Amino acid sequence: MKRVMFSPVTRLSGLLSVEVVVDGDVVVEANAGGTLFRGFEWIMLGRKVTDAVYMTQRICGICSQAHGAVASYLVDDIYGLEIDENAQLIRNAMLAADFLQNHIRHFYVYSLPDYVRFPEVPPFLGQSTADLRLGAPETARLMEHYVSALRAAQQAHQILALFGGKAPHQHSFVHGGVAVSPDASRVNSALALAGDILAFIERSLLPDTELLARTYSDYYSIGVTPRRFLSYGLWRFGRHNENLRWRPGVLDDGTLTEPDTGLIAEDITNSWFEPGPPGGEPVPAPFKPGAYSWVKSALYAGRHMQVGPLARMLINGYYSGGTSTMDRIVARSLEARLIAGFLREWLLEIRPGPPPISTGAAPLKQEAVSTVDSMRGALLHWARLSGEDVTSYVIITPTVWNFSPKSSPAERGPAETALVGMTIPSTEQLTTLLGRTIRSFDPCLSCGAHLTYRDGRAGAEVVI
Amino acid sequence: MDRARSTGEARDHAAGLLDEAVRRAACPGGTRLPVIWIGTNCSCDNSISFMNTTAPDVWQVFSQIVDLYYSNAFMAADGEAARRILEWVSTAHAGRFVLVVEGAIPVKGGGRYTIVLRTLKQDLTALDVVTWLGERAGHVVALGTCGSFGGASAARPNVSGSLPVSEVLDRQVIKVSGCPVNPEWYVGTLAHLLLYGTPELDDVGRPAIFYARTVHRNCQRRSYFDDGDFADSLGSAKCMFSQGCVGPRTGSDCPYRLWINHVSYPIKVNTPCIGCTNPDFPDGSSPFFTPLPDKAGGRTEAGGRRGPGEAGRP
Repeated sequence: MKRVMFSPVTRLSGLLSVEVVVDGDVVVEANAGGTLFRGFEWIMLGRKVTDAVYMTQRICGICSQAHGAVASYLVDDIYGLEIDENAQLIRNAMLAADFLQNHIRHFYVYSLPDYVRFPEVPPFLGQSTADLRLGAPETARLMEHYVSALRAAQQAHQILALFGGKAPHQHSFVHGGVAVSPDASRVNSALALAGDILAFIERSLLPDTELLARTYSDYYSIGVTPRRFLSYGLWRFGRHNENLRWRPGVLDDGTLTEPDTGLIAEDITNSWFEPGPPGGEPVPAPFKPGAYSWVKSALYAGRHMQVGPLARMLINGYYSGGTSTMDRIVARSLEARLIAGFLREWLLEIRPGPPPISTGAAPLKQEAVSTVDSMRGALLHWARLSGEDVTSYVIITPTVWNFSPKSSPAERGPAETALVGMTIPSTEQLTTLLGRTIRSFDPCLSCGAHLTYRDGRAGAEVVI
Repeated sequence: MDRARSTGEARDHAAGLLDEAVRRAACPGGTRLPVIWIGTNCSCDNSISFMNTTAPDVWQVFSQIVDLYYSNAFMAADGEAARRILEWVSTAHAGRFVLVVEGAIPVKGGGRYTIVLRTLKQDLTALDVVTWLGERAGHVVALGTCGSFGGASAARPNVSGSLPVSEVLDRQVIKVSGCPVNPEWYVGTLAHLLLYGTPELDDVGRPAIFYARTVHRNCQRRSYFDDGDFADSLGSAKCMFSQGCVGPRTGSDCPYRLWINHVSYPIKVNTPCIGCTNPDFPDGSSPFFTPLPDKAGGRTEAGGRRGPGEAGRP
């Protein structure tokens, strides 16, 4: 038995270290440790709830619009705001653009160096070359696409900025609708950019994904996880954000049910937290013996759930494959193609007019929960207020689901499950195999350490 | 035969001169900046924002401006190979490399709220790594408002005791603030270091070319402010001061430079500037939609580390 610390796991957002135990040529244990604490739930305490949209976007640089969206839905609900149809089209176009930004950057910037030989210059020095299988012409083509992917992802953020002022952390998609006026100039510019991005996805991302899947087809049987998936649904429309274009669902061994946020719970067994006073927050415990992560374990009906593009594609019946490393990569690229089509569709449906935004004088309720899927999967915000001030704010991010540390010795989260049981052909390929599978989850540890503890609420909306 | 050889040598020599000329033209400083880019307590939004640079684009930055040896977001190496690169650069380029720190530095709990590297023997916290590399770097750049001033990572109640980079290093720190940074402020600072050395800094340590004037001073809606014509809600085309705008005390060239290929910035989409480049962001700007005189920004419980000063006056 040999212990190996794989650190840093680069090409992701935030900080991740994974310790594995290898017995012979098999990985028999994996501890995926998010080593970054941010604590946005504490930061939200005492702030006016309308600050939630701008403040919670700062949780994450690569999925900021998703936090902005779910916080907007939350505040819409609290103030009873009615959302104009035009506003929903712009909101979803903005969210779609940020998804495309994420998926393109994840495939090319974060994943490709796992599979393709890069030039031996910074920042590509020291690449693991233990198992690179593509020939020179294909490698050259993919390197060209790496450069054009950088441009396509920038164009996606340019769409977000056209409507939102800047990116990351846009400004106009807020509670009540969208503060910007949809006019021919903005829509026309966005359509031109969206056309370029769609062409990039069809001519580069999809064929490149296919090439990777064909060349590394063994990864359809590596990194396999249990078939347990969760999605809150995606693309909210309707005056009260009540309609979802992609359905929510819990897929558990072939059974599909509606998610019930009342069944969500957390566990801090292996996290750097100690239980707090009764009814209170858990206390950060950076020296807790045996713990290995700032990420807590999120459980649905007592079970770990995988979230992300593969979850959405399976739950909506757009993908019928397995649950492997390559399935996660392929599902993300296929989803990008679907979203690029939506983006164009929604931009074309926008009607010119004044900024579609409504305002509310006072909160109609003192507690609300809001959900939507982000790029990496199910995202939940929940708030309790006193007047307009936040007294509790809970954020459960996708990385908390996928990178849950063990809730008990036998209960591993999706990422750890995908690593355990892996056969390592040679020592030099260990981190190559680990890296490919870890990155297939698109980890974001900036989002990881936020979930706070709230007991005494059993049976209520969110049991945290 | 001698003649043939000398002709060949001359041709090689000419080719060499041409290569050198092309290289110098491409890299006016004659070389690229060796850079170590460490992510600490941050949302990594500056890494994402950097990728939105257009002229130069990311590839041009990599090939012409920096030798980005270490970066959590971009480097191909990982694990032990990445750690070896870090050690090598810190020695081979000691005194010359630029240390870019993206994020704040937690000091509570032995710094363990942010661990940058782990081995089976030890954990290296952000404090450990920034202290180690900060002593060996030629320049230190704090990237984003968290690294520059604490930012959102140090917002009250600042559970992790996060500090700006300048408070854990006893040396000059060039602060390139913004939440996130505008990629042109960052790439522009790197280019300045390469071409002309340390840029002139404003009174809080930021490159003056980007931060010396307030948003308010150059705001396209200044005439509305001067006429007292204020927006009655978000979405209005009028002055956003009534909607919480902190442009009057925010040093940034946003109104001129704009964002993402120069298309927009927050006031252009009918929302307030929330002062994301400021030393007291976000606490000093909140509640974000409350007019400046009524903001509760003073109630920072994290302690007195935030500077009261601001770059300019309206």
